[in-house]
Amino acid sequence: MKNKLEKLREDFLAALDSVTDLSSLRDLEIKYLSRKGELSGLLGGLKDLGIDIRREAGELANVIKQELQLRFNETKNNFEKKAEKNSQLDPTIPGKKIEGGHLHPLTLLKREMEDFFATLGFQVMDGPEIESEFYNFEALNVPPHHPARDMQDTFYVDLKNKDGEYDLAMRSQTSNTQVRAMQKYGSPLRMIMPGRVFRSEATDARHEHTFYQLEGMVIDKDINFAHMKNILEAVGKKLYGPETKIRMRPKFYPFVEPGSNGEYTCFLCQGKGCRVCKNSGWLEIVGCGLIHPNVLRAGGIDPEKYSGFAFGFGLNRLAMLKYGIDDVRLFNSGDMRFLKQF
Amino acid sequence: MYLSLNWLKDFVKIPNKMRPEELAQLLTLHTVEVESWQTQSDDFAKVVVGKVLSVKPHPNADRLRLCQVDVKKEILDIVCGAPNVESGQRVAVALVGATLPNGLTIKESEIRGEKSLGMICAEDELGLGIDHEGIMVLDKNAKIGQEFAAYLNLNDIILEIDNKSLSNRGDLWGHYGMAREISTLLKMPLVPYLKIDEKLLIPSGKEKISVKIEDKRICSRYIAVKINNVKIVESPNWLKEKLAAVNVRPINVLVDITNYVMFESGQPLHVFDAGKIQKISIGLSKKDEGIETLDGKEYLLPEDTIVIRDGSEPIAVAGIMGGANSAVNENTTSVILEAATFDAVYVRKSSQKLNLRTDASMRFEKTLDPTLPEKAWQKAWQLIKEILPEAELAGDIVDVVNFDLNQEQISLDFSWLKKKIGKQISRKEVQNILERLGFLVEINKNVLMVTPPSWRAVKDVTIKEDILEEVIRIIGYDNIPTAALSNALSFLPENKELLLERRVQDILSGSGRMLEVYNYSFVSESSLSKLNINSSRYLKLVNPISEQQALLRQSLLPGLLQNVRLNQFNYSEFGLFEIGRIFLPLPGEYIKDAKGDFLPYQGKRLGLMVAGQDTNKVFESLKSYVELLLNSLWPQIKSEYTALENLPTWVKSGQAAAIYCHGKEIGVVGLLDDKLANNFALKLKTAFAEINFKELLALDNILPINQYQESPKYPAVIRDLSFVVDEKMLYNDFWRTLISFHPLLIQAELFDIYQGDALGAGKKSWAFHLTYQSNDKTLTTEEVDLIQKELIQVCHDKFEAQIRNF
Repeated sequence: MKNKLEKLREDFLAALDSVTDLSSLRDLEIKYLSRKGELSGLLGGLKDLGIDIRREAGELANVIKQELQLRFNETKNNFEKKAEKNSQLDPTIPGKKIEGGHLHPLTLLKREMEDFFATLGFQVMDGPEIESEFYNFEALNVPPHHPARDMQDTFYVDLKNKDGEYDLAMRSQTSNTQVRAMQKYGSPLRMIMPGRVFRSEATDARHEHTFYQLEGMVIDKDINFAHMKNILEAVGKKLYGPETKIRMRPKFYPFVEPGSNGEYTCFLCQGKGCRVCKNSGWLEIVGCGLIHPNVLRAGGIDPEKYSGFAFGFGLNRLAMLKYGIDDVRLFNSGDMRFLKQF
Repeated sequence: MYLSLNWLKDFVKIPNKMRPEELAQLLTLHTVEVESWQTQSDDFAKVVVGKVLSVKPHPNADRLRLCQVDVKKEILDIVCGAPNVESGQRVAVALVGATLPNGLTIKESEIRGEKSLGMICAEDELGLGIDHEGIMVLDKNAKIGQEFAAYLNLNDIILEIDNKSLSNRGDLWGHYGMAREISTLLKMPLVPYLKIDEKLLIPSGKEKISVKIEDKRICSRYIAVKINNVKIVESPNWLKEKLAAVNVRPINVLVDITNYVMFESGQPLHVFDAGKIQKISIGLSKKDEGIETLDGKEYLLPEDTIVIRDGSEPIAVAGIMGGANSAVNENTTSVILEAATFDAVYVRKSSQKLNLRTDASMRFEKTLDPTLPEKAWQKAWQLIKEILPEAELAGDIVDVVNFDLNQEQISLDFSWLKKKIGKQISRKEVQNILERLGFLVEINKNVLMVTPPSWRAVKDVTIKEDILEEVIRIIGYDNIPTAALSNALSFLPENKELLLERRVQDILSGSGRMLEVYNYSFVSESSLSKLNINSSRYLKLVNPISEQQALLRQSLLPGLLQNVRLNQFNYSEFGLFEIGRIFLPLPGEYIKDAKGDFLPYQGKRLGLMVAGQDTNKVFESLKSYVELLLNSLWPQIKSEYTALENLPTWVKSGQAAAIYCHGKEIGVVGLLDDKLANNFALKLKTAFAEINFKELLALDNILPINQYQESPKYPAVIRDLSFVVDEKMLYNDFWRTLISFHPLLIQAELFDIYQGDALGAGKKSWAFHLTYQSNDKTLTTEEVDLIQKELIQVCHDKFEAQIRNF
């Protein structure tokens, strides 16, 4: 037994000296030191010996075992240190790529605006996309056959009412939600109404039949034009920086009186004139006005007691300006090469 | 609409030093948007006066001639086909590089072997007439080499106004109305529209015209004037130039004069050949009534069209276009001049139905001032008499008046005005502005009483807010200060649907790493039939852009499949989601109008789409997304899939299930059928889930807020157990039995599915980690053994499940 142990010790040490790399060292470990290795095998044989010899051999076996383990560890350490020195670990190599998900750019813009208006105390409301002529037009002071209906080419839904007329449209503007909001919440009111709208027009890089607007509305006692200007100025500064100015000019919308278009200083050229603003220095961004008394009345609000203003943006246009997108059709294209950029 | 600066200057003094962009900005900031402006001479860039030096026959073409033309800088060889070209003539020469008003661009060319370095122009090519019989011969004294624009005395500036922004202002559809605005803005006097010698209005004869209006509603004013001794000749140059400036082609003197007056006053006029008319009547169209219009087209008149008839024969579509049968021609010697006010809505409807929009119909549909026809016919007559001195009025004019101008006084308070503007405007300034615009103003203490002029009273000024707008726009929106809203907030309930939408988007695009898409609300019949979906119950558009976009979607699936088809060539594995409305022909939640009806159903759906190479993997990963979503929304709530009784049409053999969450069915998951995938030209495998967003919201509303639970104090015992069952057995039924078996068996997690020879035909095995745990004590081996033994027995009895021995 003793001899066997000595022999094993010598074999092991000799083999250890001739080991040249970590992998043959591991082989050595398996052969001699592992649970099923030769040393364990010998130790397993101890139980067959007489008690005295067993003790003596056992002590020797432990000494040898410790020595071998020690020598093994030393060698292993040396190899590892060497290996560390030699290794070409490059700390600048990137990690394994994890592809992230992406929200749609219009979602991002819609949230940005919602959050901005939330700080000003505006609540958000959604409205239907198939809308009755009543909410899309009549309640907004656009009677049937008013030429203002030409301002928007409207899709009609093929469902006739009792009088045999088409009276359902794909909403042509988020303004349809104005009167719904008034009916639901009454006055005072601070509300924005973002959503999908539709116009029956052929598509190209600048025209889409399906796009997004964000409508806003404030109703309270003594709301005036100066208040509207103030809020819209704040929007401009939020969108295009603290130096942004607003220029307002008259524009007819049947649901407001007076009606206006708001233009902001072009953020690309700071008002000097460039391709994006068609050399005017101004970007036409928002339609607005004081809410027409007929619209307030349709919403059940007394125009003698309350007044208000309303405004609307095209979210697609804001996104195109913000991200430099030159083709409006990309938004509904589902093209992942586009969507992964936001 | 085009505005000529020179024409405006007939009525209001515009300072010469005012640059066109300043005038454009003035109108834009106070009246309507000027879209663009241009110098008229731009039209004739590179067109010069030349002198024909010689004319020789073309060697290879009988009809062509070779000309040498002196344009001062050089002598050009030009091939000309006009029969009237002669040496010595002064002509308009378009040089190489010129683009003519008719769109033709002149290039250096070779015509039948002979070089041609320009073109000698005819009137029509220059946009100055319709004559193409020969070249335009210029005045003998024309200066050789002079710019043609300078020769024509073209020094006008043309402004272009967006028609749509004028839809509420019928009064601005002529130069005079715009001149009135400019006079108000510049504080310059406005020249009266008409100065006519009363003697001119005395008729020479006693002829009578019979005019009958069958329905007072359709025509509030009708003036008919018979004029004899007219000649149908070309208009004088000044008239042609005026019309050319606003892009109107001159035709003959009478038509030109009616057009002239329309572009000036805004009132459309018409001339009939009096020789072809006996008795005029104005009524609504009859069934099957038709007409051939001036432009030679035949129309069947739609119902409720206002028709002018001679006896029973239609001679004009009122307010839209005249008929061919009563049109003036070169033989006409007497005419009836019509100046009328037709009802805006009737004209608009018919014009839409006929798809015929004319300068006249665009004006009538805006609602015109019924006092205008009087001024307009007199102006036209004045011009006719000026150009054709022999012309005479055949008799008294007929003037049918059916209107009562609603020029009611509008009264408002100065303090109200201040309250609405947010700034004090002096009484004097308010009065001044309104009076310059033609309003009558009375002031009584603090009250302002305003009577709108006839041209504003017909439509756009009826309430005090309209007066407010007039004041504020003339002052300028830019001169209104800004004022912060009060801080008093009105607290409205938060929008829970929107908040949930955000959470869903964030989970799926965040930890789900999916892409959000927006698809159209419209689908095509063909893409539905590819999915075996019958489209007969789909809502349709009356006026779709194309057949591809004609039906309203009832699922997000077709759109998402198209997204896969588009992207499969760039990406081999991906997940997409969309939140959007679907539309069903059933009453929904939104009220339609006051009558109590409801709009069609248009609830939101959440669609999830996974595409990849391997069928099993895409279905599994789709379900992972669904579970990730539900688990992230509500960590303590259980969800499961159950067998569907009615499978959707697009599903691969039985591979679909209902999604249950907290005991409520909220949607469906399924694997797309291979054949349908083929129909859609998909090379990737796809699995799709659709969740009813309203159900998700309903759950979110009823689920209590998660309550904290203490972490278990006593260790869990986990046993692995594998059951062999029939391969047709559905997992969910089995799992339910496990999980509801004993309160101490708190979790059963499937970790392996196996099917193979070792189990025998028609069998499969499910391996579970079963977790036993008590809140009161450490479980002993014996307790667990006992429960598990009973469990095995129940599974055997209920499902014939055997325990698998390894």
